Amino acid sequence: MIANVIGVLFDGVAYGSLLFIIAVGLAVTLGLMNFVNLAHGVFAMVGGYVCVVLMTRAGVPFLATLPVAFVAAAIVGLVLERTLYQHLYRASPLDQVLFTIGVVYMSIAGATYVFGSSQQPVFLPSYLRGQVHVLGVDLGVYRLFLVAVVALLTYALHLLLERTRFGSQVRASVDNPVAAAGLGINVNRVFALTFALGSGLAGLGGGLGIDVLGLDPTFPLKYMVYFLLVVAVGGSGTIKGPLVAAVILGVFDVSGKYFVPQIGGFVIYALMVLLLIVFPAGLYGRRT
Amino acid sequence: MRELLAVDNVTAGYGAAVVLEDVTLSLAEGDSLALLGRNGVGKTTLLVTLMGLTRLHRGSLQFAGANLAALSTYARARAGIGWVPQERYMWPSLTIEEHLTSVARPGRWTLAKIYEIFPRLEERRGNFGNQLSGGEQQMLAIARALVVNPRLLLLDEPMEGLAPIIVQDLMKVIRGLVAEGGMAMVIVEQHAKLALSLTRNAIVLDRGRIVHRSPSEALLEDPQTLHRLVAVA
Ligand SMILES: Nc1ncnc2c1ncn2[C@@H]1O[C@H](COP(=O)(O)OP(=O)(O)OP(=O)(O)O)[C@@H](O)[C@H]1O
Ligand SMILES: [Mg+2]
Repeated sequence: MIANVIGVLFDGVAYGSLLFIIAVGLAVTLGLMNFVNLAHGVFAMVGGYVCVVLMTRAGVPFLATLPVAFVAAAIVGLVLERTLYQHLYRASPLDQVLFTIGVVYMSIAGATYVFGSSQQPVFLPSYLRGQVHVLGVDLGVYRLFLVAVVALLTYALHLLLERTRFGSQVRASVDNPVAAAGLGINVNRVFALTFALGSGLAGLGGGLGIDVLGLDPTFPLKYMVYFLLVVAVGGSGTIKGPLVAAVILGVFDVSGKYFVPQIGGFVIYALMVLLLIVFPAGLYGRRT
Repeated sequence: MRELLAVDNVTAGYGAAVVLEDVTLSLAEGDSLALLGRNGVGKTTLLVTLMGLTRLHRGSLQFAGANLAALSTYARARAGIGWVPQERYMWPSLTIEEHLTSVARPGRWTLAKIYEIFPRLEERRGNFGNQLSGGEQQMLAIARALVVNPRLLLLDEPMEGLAPIIVQDLMKVIRGLVAEGGMAMVIVEQHAKLALSLTRNAIVLDRGRIVHRSPSEALLEDPQTLHRLVAVA
């Protein structure tokens, strides 16, 4: 029983790590730039399909496909931002919702047309498969790998945002874009690069997550609410908020579905309502 | 002296609303100008028009021989305009030091030199923008504009709301900047006498138009005219 609980907890953490790496870009665009991008999951899906295509059609090993997934999703994000999204920054939230939900359905239709509606396979290398036995508990090797990769990425992201000039320019542009521009920061460029970085991370998460989240054309819709929850519950002050929120959501979702499968998704939504009542601005608000 | 800034027949405002009408002025390299006038006459609007934050309805803006109006706001800062906004506009999630390093451009104003004239900022370098007193905010706003290494510094009511002792300190710093030369300066100030004592020339705005121009010293020596132009009725 104890081993069971630990195993489920661990799965929840791994799942939450994936949610975080996919949603962290949304924390910036939605939480900080106030742009309601419901289509954020599309970038994850792009990353996922890039991995699958490279593996199945070109025989590229799984790990080598991940950087490509990052770059491809970042480029798609950048192009979308420059051509379409930047015109919507000052639009009403309703316009943003309608526009981006349109992008979601177009991407679903597009992915179905190109790849069909079935779940896509992922070929993990043998050293990432199976279980390891730690202190009487069986842990999935791939999930351990996921947690480690996300921990590293999170640390790198933290350094980028808190310790570099680019990071302080991002924060300045978000805090007060007029002052940032007035002091020589190219705010549009900073936002575009940030958007590309967030999209790239989502793409990387999409590739990493094929084995856990699955991959089919409905992916952006299926997980949309989860990504939004990570941001709404976590708040957008730091990357810490979304990280903590993602892990909490991951753990409760997995344990809910494992221990009380008859009520399925109820657990996570009840938790969300509760957290938002207690922390209306999210777990970690931003400095004002 | 070579001309640095030329504002010609500028009419500008917010959206369709016109605030400034037919404003013409010029400023040489290293020169200083006091911009005076009662509340709401358009002093800030003139400065933010130089920064590209209003709608330019008519007229032209030249800076260092280039067409300023064609540049976006960040490019104007990079072209050499240092802006100290009236609202100060600190960045809450940046430390004092990050306020400086995030916008610094190469030139004689380095971090070390800033800390020399504002030791207080060095003491508090790790504090965030939302943890500063009014005086510290103003010092930081000026310091942040200086590290851009501008050829023209725009100061929008730098003394507003500060304790007299801090006003004295800041006066000393600004006087030092003027004396050093090399950087032109426009100072907007409610305390007209302070601004006049710091600058070479003065203009007075009323309801968006220039109603007076003279050397600062002349206006300082003519209290009646000064009173008529800027005193609150
Ligand atoms: N963002 C804005 N949108 C619309 N109108 C504005 C805006 N900012 C200022 N105004 C209007 O423009 C006019 C000039 O304002 P401005 O701030 O330039 O005056 P000011 O001389 O700087 O005044 P103060 O001494 O109070 O700072 C005022 O009537 C003001 O209401
Ligand atoms: Mg003003």
